[in-house]
Amino acid sequence: MRALPLLPLLLSSCMTVPALAANSSPQATDWLNKLAQAEQGQSYQGSFVYERNGSFSSHDIWHRVQGGKVHERLLQLDGVAQEVVRVDGKVQCVSRSLVSGVGAPPDSAPRVLDPLKLMSWYDLKIAGEARVADRNAVIVTLTPRDQHRYAFELHLDKQTGLPLRSLMLNAKGQLLERFQMTRLDTQDLPTDADLKASAACKPVQRSPVGAADAVVGWRSDWLPPGFELVGSSIRRDPERKSAVSSLMYDDGLARFSVFLEPVKDNAGTDTRAQLGPTVAVSRHFTTPKGKVMVTVVGEIPLGTAERVALSMRAQDVQARQ
Amino acid sequence: MSREALQESLSAVMDNEADQLELRRVLNAIDDTETRATWSRYQVARAAMHKELLLPNLDIASAVSAALEEEAAPAKAKAGPWRSLGRLAVAASVTVAVLAGVRLYNQDEISGAELAVQQPVQQGLSMPQTQGPAVLAGYTESSEPTTGPMANGVLQNQAGWDQRLPGYLRQHAQESALKGTETALPYARAASLENR
Repeated sequence: MRALPLLPLLLSSCMTVPALAANSSPQATDWLNKLAQAEQGQSYQGSFVYERNGSFSSHDIWHRVQGGKVHERLLQLDGVAQEVVRVDGKVQCVSRSLVSGVGAPPDSAPRVLDPLKLMSWYDLKIAGEARVADRNAVIVTLTPRDQHRYAFELHLDKQTGLPLRSLMLNAKGQLLERFQMTRLDTQDLPTDADLKASAACKPVQRSPVGAADAVVGWRSDWLPPGFELVGSSIRRDPERKSAVSSLMYDDGLARFSVFLEPVKDNAGTDTRAQLGPTVAVSRHFTTPKGKVMVTVVGEIPLGTAERVALSMRAQDVQARQ
Repeated sequence: MSREALQESLSAVMDNEADQLELRRVLNAIDDTETRATWSRYQVARAAMHKELLLPNLDIASAVSAALEEEAAPAKAKAGPWRSLGRLAVAASVTVAVLAGVRLYNQDEISGAELAVQQPVQQGLSMPQTQGPAVLAGYTESSEPTTGPMANGVLQNQAGWDQRLPGYLRQHAQESALKGTETALPYARAASLENR
């Protein structure tokens, strides 16, 4: 009986979905569902290349789903040996202890790809077939319905639904990044030896991140439609002795983070940078408590990131007015 | 009618100083492509002087008259209630032509070469600006967008920026990897940041 009040909500959501789905094909939805299942239930090993403007690298991946646990190891094959080992999405170790304090992601369940949600912000279509890594693939395109997100083209393995190729394109159709499997083996289960971290992979230091340390005092006046807050944390930076608040937003596919850090009065200018698919925009605000640098980092268009950065407001100021 | 007289009339019409005779002269000659070309050149010059943004090749007039010509015939042939319907069709197609022109106007990009005028910067907040492999620019409110690669994946030294950004990027990538479904992609993004 407790579910009864939710019934109208459920009914209305059933009625709105077909309207939204008008521009999306049911086959594309099925394939994305298959992809979501494959990520959680399919073991595989293989190699892939990653390319963005100014960078090209090759990697090996081992992914084992056994007894409800997902073990994963990634290793960069060229240049510096970057390595990451994850168990159930939690980072166990990273090569080259990268930056102090990073690597204590809040423990939360990974979000599952939800085609029904994506349909509101992207048109999902089947765009044909392809062959990648000697496997047959079906091409699913996700075209944004506004200018606040990029387009994706996913080539999914016909047999398993795993992504064989993933392309991200901007509004002008320019390729921003390319992820492509060059070898995929779904038959042989990765062994313990495959998944074992090398000596160079340093265990992640859990810097003090209080779960209760919710980011308060900041709110966003404007967010691109569909983006929701999916996480927030406050991280103490031991070197700079400052507390960095971060907020992460997600539209079901694209993500961006907002970082808020108190800075000295003479610290830097407003800056923006684009690194392939990732954009970074920083702006300085003066609050009653001092100067704060707001930085938006994410896979969203530069204009959108800038607007988000401009829309951050210190809440306590608002309350006083 | 001499060329010069026509051009003078055109100029007068444009400046809103034409008398009845001049207006009639221009209207008679406007079907001529050369006259229309002159007209649009005048518009460019005028806009250049007034520092206005415009699209020189936009010829709504010809699109409108083409639509009128196509629609006029059936409207004449039928009398009675069909006539008004025909008129409606004409009106509709004129609207379409104008809208198409406006759409064209908004979509087209005018390069600096076309107009030797400093264009007002139209970069709104909602416009994506991924023009180079890596665009890095000190942000100022009214500056023109920086085009081309200033730094190819390498961040320039800026006080406070250089030391914080890698951490931000990494944290974003790592948290993305945790939250997202495509587990390898955020990792690859993070790794590619380290390859600088």
